[in-house]
Amino acid sequence: MGLSLTVNGDHLTSTADPITPLVDVLREEFHLTGAKPVCREGFCGACMVLIDGNPTPSCLMPAALAEGCDIRTVEGLAVNGGLNPIQAALEACDAVQCGMCFPGMVVSLTHLLTTRPGATRDDIRAALTGNICRCTGYERIIEAALLALATT
Amino acid sequence: MTGDAKVSDASATMNFRRRDAADKLRGRTRYTIDRYLPGMLHAAILRAGVPSGRIARLDITKAARMPGVRAVVTAADAPGMIGIGIADHPLFARDVIRYDGEPIAAIAADTLMQAHAALAAIDVEIEPLPVVLTMADALAPDAPLVHPDWRNYEVLLEGGVRGGNIAWEATVVRGDVDAAFARSDVEIIDSSFRVGRQNHVAFEPRAVVASYEDGRFHIETSTQVPWTIRNATARLLGVPASRVRVTVPPVGGGFGLKFDLAIEPFAALLARASGRPVRLVNSREEEMLTCLFRENAEIRIRSAVTRDGEIVGREAVVLMDCGAYGGEQIFLTTMTAHTLGGNYSLGAVRLVSRAVYTNTAPNGAFRACNGVYNTFALERHTDEVAARIGMDPLAFRRRNVLGDGDLGATGQVFEGDVLGPMLDRMDTMRDAAATPPGCDDGRLYGRATVVGTWFVFVGPSAATVNMNADGTATLVTSGVEIGSGSMMQALPQIVAGTLGLSPHDVIVRAADTDAAGYDVGVGGGRTTVSLGAASLSAAHEVRTKLLKVASEMIEAAAEDLVMRSGRIEIAGAPGSGRLISEVAARAQAQIGPISGTGAFTGAGMPAMPGCVAGHFIDAIDIPVFAVHDCEVAVDTETGHVEVLSYRVVQDVGRALNPRAIHGQIQGGVVQGLGYALHEEVTIGSNGRVRQNGFETYRVPLALDVVPVEINLYEGAPSIGPLGTKGAGEVPILNVAAAVACAVANAIGKPILELPLTPPRVLELLLDQRPTLSLPHIAEAWTNNLLRPHKTDGSN
Repeated sequence: MGLSLTVNGDHLTSTADPITPLVDVLREEFHLTGAKPVCREGFCGACMVLIDGNPTPSCLMPAALAEGCDIRTVEGLAVNGGLNPIQAALEACDAVQCGMCFPGMVVSLTHLLTTRPGATRDDIRAALTGNICRCTGYERIIEAALLALATT
Repeated sequence: MTGDAKVSDASATMNFRRRDAADKLRGRTRYTIDRYLPGMLHAAILRAGVPSGRIARLDITKAARMPGVRAVVTAADAPGMIGIGIADHPLFARDVIRYDGEPIAAIAADTLMQAHAALAAIDVEIEPLPVVLTMADALAPDAPLVHPDWRNYEVLLEGGVRGGNIAWEATVVRGDVDAAFARSDVEIIDSSFRVGRQNHVAFEPRAVVASYEDGRFHIETSTQVPWTIRNATARLLGVPASRVRVTVPPVGGGFGLKFDLAIEPFAALLARASGRPVRLVNSREEEMLTCLFRENAEIRIRSAVTRDGEIVGREAVVLMDCGAYGGEQIFLTTMTAHTLGGNYSLGAVRLVSRAVYTNTAPNGAFRACNGVYNTFALERHTDEVAARIGMDPLAFRRRNVLGDGDLGATGQVFEGDVLGPMLDRMDTMRDAAATPPGCDDGRLYGRATVVGTWFVFVGPSAATVNMNADGTATLVTSGVEIGSGSMMQALPQIVAGTLGLSPHDVIVRAADTDAAGYDVGVGGGRTTVSLGAASLSAAHEVRTKLLKVASEMIEAAAEDLVMRSGRIEIAGAPGSGRLISEVAARAQAQIGPISGTGAFTGAGMPAMPGCVAGHFIDAIDIPVFAVHDCEVAVDTETGHVEVLSYRVVQDVGRALNPRAIHGQIQGGVVQGLGYALHEEVTIGSNGRVRQNGFETYRVPLALDVVPVEINLYEGAPSIGPLGTKGAGEVPILNVAAAVACAVANAIGKPILELPLTPPRVLELLLDQRPTLSLPHIAEAWTNNLLRPHKTDGSN
């Protein structure tokens, strides 16, 4: 008896204990190490994934609860190994420093971009409340989000 | 080694994008925590749960028989001691526990759960010993000693005075301070300050994967200092350093946290014992509790200042809590001379910095280390001085900032007028800005402009450039990419500029101590300077060799040739000559592959003889200056401080990648805002750090920050390659000072402590904050010294 999970469109099976945090199943069994277990308390957002389209910290979600859901990780956001619009904007703005928070940032901002095309600067700042960055001081990330909103 | 006029400015100076961004954005980058090897074991560490005690019994036999356990190691496996200045630090607690969280044993098992289960099966009994948790406790006349055997430790650098709970004492004395204070025409201003600890919260925790093959350790680790890891691991394990190889994947944030040995030797020992690769990653709680924090400090400054604003005398006592072991604070006692003793031209001066042992988690290095709190103290004191003599604080600064030919605290002679013109630049920026809206909302408004002095931590670096026959070059160094981008941007730009290549065509080898020569590490603003200078020198050697071959091919004198856009051409004749790849291929066939090597170290700027004792650096080779300006609004009902605007003029020498520097400034300022306003690590009465995660330690969020307005000041003298200075460390330097001075101006009360949390600000507003009292700093400066200042002696 295992867990059946749909990750980035692939149907995968896990032998993990059902209460194993989803982030550990993704990283250790499925080799999807993009999501980072930084705080394991749901504060930092570095392990954010989309569960049925909603940004969710994968450290707080028992893997079994994700059964039957569409799980999308940062690795599955762009087609053919390219960059999606927010990834491209973040690269163009030279926003990345150490990079550990960016998988989660990209997941949250991808959601913002697709659900709130009219978002303002303050909307973006509010949307990033669950994504902490220790390197950049956020400004470039906000600029990139505005750029992506303006060009998509 | 300085710049060559022939080096192409166009390709060395550009907003070159970093090559690691796309993979970081797609979650593909494999940091140390993302490395999973076949057959790898998982390790965990048993840590003490008391701050002080004697290990009465330690029995691992039951733990070793637990399911999945492959190796157990203890103090018996690590005979060496390490430290800076003095070797006071063993890998595991040996008989004595000195802080809550100190390692006692380490276990490797098939799974992490098995390793943790086995830790619980270790039989350990600890008898409590007396505890000193604060510097006041440690300096009490009858205080228990954290290191009763301090006299027996190996001394690694002579000259520091030690004794009891004073791990290290460094002094500066220049001129007759007593005479200055005795003058009849001076005001005496006396200020005391206290700051807490700051946690780096690097997103990638300390992490390591170690293996043991063919009699050598291979340590893959998240560090800023591969050579320190190599040498310190070897010293602790009692093996030759040549038996340790260190490689470094991309590092998920450092900020100084990873400028010292961490958990690498545990994994190395377990790998040797088990014969399997071993992964060891700190939990976030371990990171929070055993951080190598920016140290808490207590500071007293006294100044004798004439009524027209001349600082004729200054004295200070700085107490720095090093925690249970000396570590970085031993070195940092040096920096007080250049930070608290910086900024201003002083008549006579005497300073003492004391690193104090306590039974708390060891502190370490954090971006602009002791400069951050000493600049806070100095700039607040400066405002108090200006207020006392009735001079405008900006006018007072303008009168006294270090200029060309001025003497620093240790008697070094500063070159060039830098801070003065930078203050002018700030005036222009401030005047051009719009007045912030809404000054009639009941809040209190304040602003401040402050200055700061920092340095580049130069020291040895090595580089090799291999010219490939396809026209690309490979740069081999021990440099680490910690996120600042220096290894992705400035270094390839420097090599490319020298060789007329696109920076895209410079391959940058990740750090490997088996492949590249010694390096001090990535930190202290030294990457672009020291590694950059070594890389420039190596590229020059390649350039010289290529031009010689090209000269024969093109039939032109080498001095008439230029390298640009991938070609070697006759100067002034674009399109002439050959592709660099053609020349490199010809050279490879005729004389063998072309390469160059480069090396760099500090210039050894002199201090005034007799001024310093116990210092690791007597004078600073490359000073770095910064001017910050901040406007705040303070809510009188809640004590909340809102930062309304923030401006920076930063001395960068020369900006090779202005956009990258802007990114460092925005990020560094925000880290400083956290320190100024809400980041504080405190220690409970049980000796344990109270903040064990993100819920209890608050770092700045996107909603807290403002865009920083930035001006890069170029042209100040620097021995750095192409005139550069380090630009990534210094942005945090003045932030606490700027915010504290602005808040003090807003509320009309002195700010003596950080951070400025709403409860603390509210206490100040309501006059309910007890006066800061530091009775363990003696009234007379000389009574704070273990022995009188002298520069010739040893312990």
